[in-house]
Amino acid sequence: MITGHYKTAYAADESIWNNWAKKSGLVIALIGLFAFPLFANNYLLLIAGQILIYMIAVTGVNVLVGYTGLMSLGHGAFFAVGAYTAVIAHNAVENLFPLITLALSAGVAALFGLLFGLPSLRVKGLYLAVATLSANFIILFLIRQDWAAPWTGGRQGIETPNAVIFGWELASNTAKYYLIAPVFVVFVLFAQNLFRTRFGRALIAIRDNDHSAEILGISLYAYKLKSFAISAAYCGAAGALWSYFFPAILPEDFSLNMSITLVVCLIAGGMGRTLGPLFGTLLILLIPEILKIISGVFTGGDGNALIHFSSIRDIVFGLLIILFLIFEPMGLVSIWDRFWRFVARWPFSK
Amino acid sequence: MGQVMQYLLNGTMNGALYALIAVGIVSIFKSTKVVSFAHGHVIMFGAYFYFTFAVILPGAEFMPDWVAKWEPEWLLAYKEGAMMFSPKAAIAAWVSNLPRIVLGLVGSIICNALLAVVIERLFMRPLLGQSSLSMILCTVGLIWVLEGSASLIWSADIDQVPALGPNFPIRFQLFGDQVFLFSASVVNFVIALLLFAALMLVLRFTRSGVAIRATAEDQSTAYAMGINVPAVFTSAWVVAATTGAVAGAILASRNGLSPTLGLFGLSVLAVVLMGGLDSFAGVFIAAMIIGIMEAFTQWKFGGEYAEIVPYVLVLVVILWRPNGLLGQAEIERI
Repeated sequence: MITGHYKTAYAADESIWNNWAKKSGLVIALIGLFAFPLFANNYLLLIAGQILIYMIAVTGVNVLVGYTGLMSLGHGAFFAVGAYTAVIAHNAVENLFPLITLALSAGVAALFGLLFGLPSLRVKGLYLAVATLSANFIILFLIRQDWAAPWTGGRQGIETPNAVIFGWELASNTAKYYLIAPVFVVFVLFAQNLFRTRFGRALIAIRDNDHSAEILGISLYAYKLKSFAISAAYCGAAGALWSYFFPAILPEDFSLNMSITLVVCLIAGGMGRTLGPLFGTLLILLIPEILKIISGVFTGGDGNALIHFSSIRDIVFGLLIILFLIFEPMGLVSIWDRFWRFVARWPFSK
Repeated sequence: MGQVMQYLLNGTMNGALYALIAVGIVSIFKSTKVVSFAHGHVIMFGAYFYFTFAVILPGAEFMPDWVAKWEPEWLLAYKEGAMMFSPKAAIAAWVSNLPRIVLGLVGSIICNALLAVVIERLFMRPLLGQSSLSMILCTVGLIWVLEGSASLIWSADIDQVPALGPNFPIRFQLFGDQVFLFSASVVNFVIALLLFAALMLVLRFTRSGVAIRATAEDQSTAYAMGINVPAVFTSAWVVAATTGAVAGAILASRNGLSPTLGLFGLSVLAVVLMGGLDSFAGVFIAAMIIGIMEAFTQWKFGGEYAEIVPYVLVLVVILWRPNGLLGQAEIERI
């Protein structure tokens, strides 16, 4: 696969789908994505929609953490900002066109991203992680407040609207899935393309060494803030989809747990790669389902086992993070790479 | 004025507890350059161990009765005629609880030290030499492991745990105003301060303290000078976990036991960053500031707002001084 293609132009070097294997892989993936609802039942669609939304958000986190090298533990808050913006916009204007809501949510989240990205100008690494963690607590605190309740519903949460496209209400999971899937494709392709541009390369330079990048003439301030804004916008858009997808939202949905889960998905998948967030999210969000099946097999659907279910899930989660960090720091993507390298060189591979 | 003094005192008491918890995070950071996000959960384990050894174990059948309730003759004589809620009754109750308090403290310190060794050997040691980000994320993973296993192990109903000191209300006059305190929180305050001071002295004057400081300064040079650096790492984790065990016991007796104890560690992380990761003095100052500010916020705006005080303060301080109040700026080379 990776052997035997002959490039005659720089454009070919830059192209994303540079061989037949990748192209057919893309086509198969797209067909699979859009044909999925034809075979899936309602429950599977629920999980699939959730996974796709998370994938969008994790792709956004990847822009910041994976490509720019800025740690964030506050992206759950941007997710929340997007979700609540969508609800508030719908309460103000009935039957808003979903794409406008998406743009609005992404925009507002980006503004928040700019604001809470400000510490990144002064601090990085751990200090930034704690600064964003603080942002997470503060934003959720504001959402919970009683004086914000007319808009956000306070700590009781708020019911969310359904998307309406030209008078057609997307109420079923299938319809919602078909709203999410195209948005997902567009966002992932955008991220993939972003890092072929001057802008994306600048971000990568900042990740690799910010002082060197500055010496090369990259304005750290501008680029770090833009990176924050873009990744927050991804999370905001994901939040808007989330509010369409679920009947109601609560402030607790977007707690620190979500922020950490987003980062964990990224690590499990592999940072700084487009496929990383997709693999990672798939794995992390499917673990509870897999555990459910396994525990069902062992206990025969015994109710007692379910009491410990969430604790066991937590332990498996945590261990998975640690094991990935120890044994596969580059994430699932590196396993994927190794596999295809093996296939490509077969029979000479070992 | 009286109210101000009252909240100032409350804040100082809380601040000392923050400082005690923060000391663990700082000592781990100083020697291993890892910031433990899971320290709150290590503390939670300390609290649960304290509960196990001070409540569950004395209640077990094979334990002699005096462990659960120690009532020698002289104590009964002393207790006779003591009023409810009087200092005398409180002290008598405390003395009869003393065996299980000691058992609880010793047990939780030993178990937490073992836990720290396990964590260090199993999870942190393999990551040596990797970027600090992945080590930090490893402690984030640890949060889940610890939380899950705690709720798996201690799923039984949670009882009250005994306070470390006799608990009776103290009222006294300060600048002509009535001030009110619980004696147990005074004891907690003193314990926290003593432990903090003891750690400072150990670091400054003992051989192992010097080894820890040398490792903090430069790992490879410390190695070259014959310091057993991995042992230093282990001891730093053990120090953190044992102080955490005491902090956990205090927290459990004050706020009750719950899995949310772990979240408390995150606000302490804010304290640590505000003070400067590598400065004990800075962390102490930050702990006091945050404790007092929290108390005043609670007074003026209500308990809800107090929750986010550490986070707001740390944001402000980081923007103003990126390395915390007294932290050392890291020198970076390209």
